[in-house]
Amino acid sequence: MCRHDEENVYLPRVAVLERVRDEIPDVRSFYWRFADPADDAAFAGFRPGQFAQVSIVGAGEFPASLPPSPTESERFFTIRRVGSCTAAMHELRPGDLFGVRGPYGNGFPMDDYRGKNLVFVAGGIGIIPLRSCIVYAMHNRQHYGRVQVFYGARTPTELMYRSEMAEWCREKGVECHLTVDRADADWKGHVGVVGSLFKQPGIEVAAENSVAFVCGPPVMFRFVIKDLLSMGFSEDRIVSTLERYMKCGVGKCGHCCIGVAYVCVDGPVFTYEQIRKLGEDI
Amino acid sequence: MKARIVAAEDVLSIVDLLRERGHEVVAPFQVHGADTIFDTVNDANRSRIALHIPNPLYPPKRFVLPHIQRLMTIQQTDGKLRFEPVLDGRRLAVFGMRSCDVAGVGHLDRFYLDRDFRDTYYAHVRAGLFIVNFVCSVPGVDIGPDCFCLCTDTGPAARNGFDLQLMDLGGRFMAVAGSPAGEELFSAPIFRKGSPDDVQKRREILSAARQSFLSRTSWFSAAVRAVSTGSVTEETWEEIGNRCLECGGCTFVCPACTCFTVTDRPAGPHRYERVRVWDSCALAGFTRMAGGFNPRKAVHDRRNRRFFRKLSHYFVQRELSVACVGCGRCAAVCHGDIGMPTVVEMIRRGAAKEAAHVPA
Repeated sequence: MCRHDEENVYLPRVAVLERVRDEIPDVRSFYWRFADPADDAAFAGFRPGQFAQVSIVGAGEFPASLPPSPTESERFFTIRRVGSCTAAMHELRPGDLFGVRGPYGNGFPMDDYRGKNLVFVAGGIGIIPLRSCIVYAMHNRQHYGRVQVFYGARTPTELMYRSEMAEWCREKGVECHLTVDRADADWKGHVGVVGSLFKQPGIEVAAENSVAFVCGPPVMFRFVIKDLLSMGFSEDRIVSTLERYMKCGVGKCGHCCIGVAYVCVDGPVFTYEQIRKLGEDI
Repeated sequence: MKARIVAAEDVLSIVDLLRERGHEVVAPFQVHGADTIFDTVNDANRSRIALHIPNPLYPPKRFVLPHIQRLMTIQQTDGKLRFEPVLDGRRLAVFGMRSCDVAGVGHLDRFYLDRDFRDTYYAHVRAGLFIVNFVCSVPGVDIGPDCFCLCTDTGPAARNGFDLQLMDLGGRFMAVAGSPAGEELFSAPIFRKGSPDDVQKRREILSAARQSFLSRTSWFSAAVRAVSTGSVTEETWEEIGNRCLECGGCTFVCPACTCFTVTDRPAGPHRYERVRVWDSCALAGFTRMAGGFNPRKAVHDRRNRRFFRKLSHYFVQRELSVACVGCGRCAAVCHGDIGMPTVVEMIRRGAAKEAAHVPA
């Protein structure tokens, strides 16, 4: 990893909000660019799975994953209103200014996974960091085998990025399977936890030569891991991205340190093998 | 390293030399009752500087990592947003920093400056810091009942990390230069050349001081091994956790603790300042995320965390020392008596009990 000797790593760059898009209730995408285009150099070539620190004036700073793929030109965050900073971000209107620094963290080693089948398993807003990898794989289709996306949410209205998913599925060798915990009147799809999709007729998940990306709430994570292990995925072929309280993003503030790892610099992407050894709840 | 002798009545002149060179000097003072503190030296209090007093509980760490440190101002006016870094231009000198605290600064240096990212603010303050180390030699005064720097190999005389080191030889002090800036002070007329007798005297005092520690052995290596191999039982952690009152005192007096939180506070119309404030892994909110999920709820998990971070082989390798400098402050402030020496002992006993159960 590079050293940043001269620059002040804590200093955000000014970003301009260009437009917003409501994804699902309480979750909104914020499309932005740097006020000074030169600042964008730091973000050129970020890796899927990395994150940024976002500063909202008067509220504070928080870590946010980068849902776009580096192969896309638009920069955006998809943020759920959950605490004081994210609530303040939801108040922003196009033209408003905020701060961004990063990108930070290791990201998913997409190059190492070339030639493999990719299995994405997401629960709720866990789809946000995985979106980056999925789109990256779509844009580098020739390097990857089959791509399967398994995505579950509590209700149909809480499934996001759905129009994009429909587009992904048009590609040969790409499947998206959706499920909800509770259906509504219009829902024709599967009902049940995301792991129950693996056993549905017509769905085949092969562990051989595959990598599974898992991201979602703690309960979902535990059950999906169990399913994947029983299907023959080895612990080092299951990768996830961890979420922790973070203040600095550069391995100094200590909040995200679990076991021997600082999630912000040694992660946030870890294999399940690493996560198990860290010895703390997901 | 060059050494000189300075008469006891001239030793405070070193403070004057530093002030003349543009340093703001902080030094130890005896205040109410048994309390001792570091405070800024001025013309009025200079004569009350006290070297042979118990080491202040509130560590001089704050002179390199301020308890509350301004990082930047955030100003939004006329459709413009500006993040302006705030860099403290003070040149501080700490007069009378004990060897344990010098080792603490060394630990912070390696943590904040030598990793993937360099901490600009720490680097800035550190660059202006001049350290005058004072060697503890008087049992019961300099060397307190909780001191255990012998066990962490950080005292009573620091080997490096200072600009100038002072040791009381009785009626005179030996001054050792640890940096070019320290050596530069020797041009002042208060310093004279020493004799072989002075060196012999230093050796004798140091040897006697080493004998006067109440805890001369500890089982740090055994604790490091147990923590690194994960062989400390859940029972031991629970026992430690049961005694923790979650006050955070241990972390706030620790010269080697590094954690901080960051917060933005109002500083005028359309103006905020971002500050960082010491934080503590003993507090329940330390790992609580927005939305309320807390991966580390149980007290004993947090204690486990603190001692794992300080003792595990992985971090010892990464930072070249255990994150404990043997100052004994955590032992002095802890209401539940789970300061570092006690915990090391509990871990060792727990591990020994465990080993006894392994069938031969």
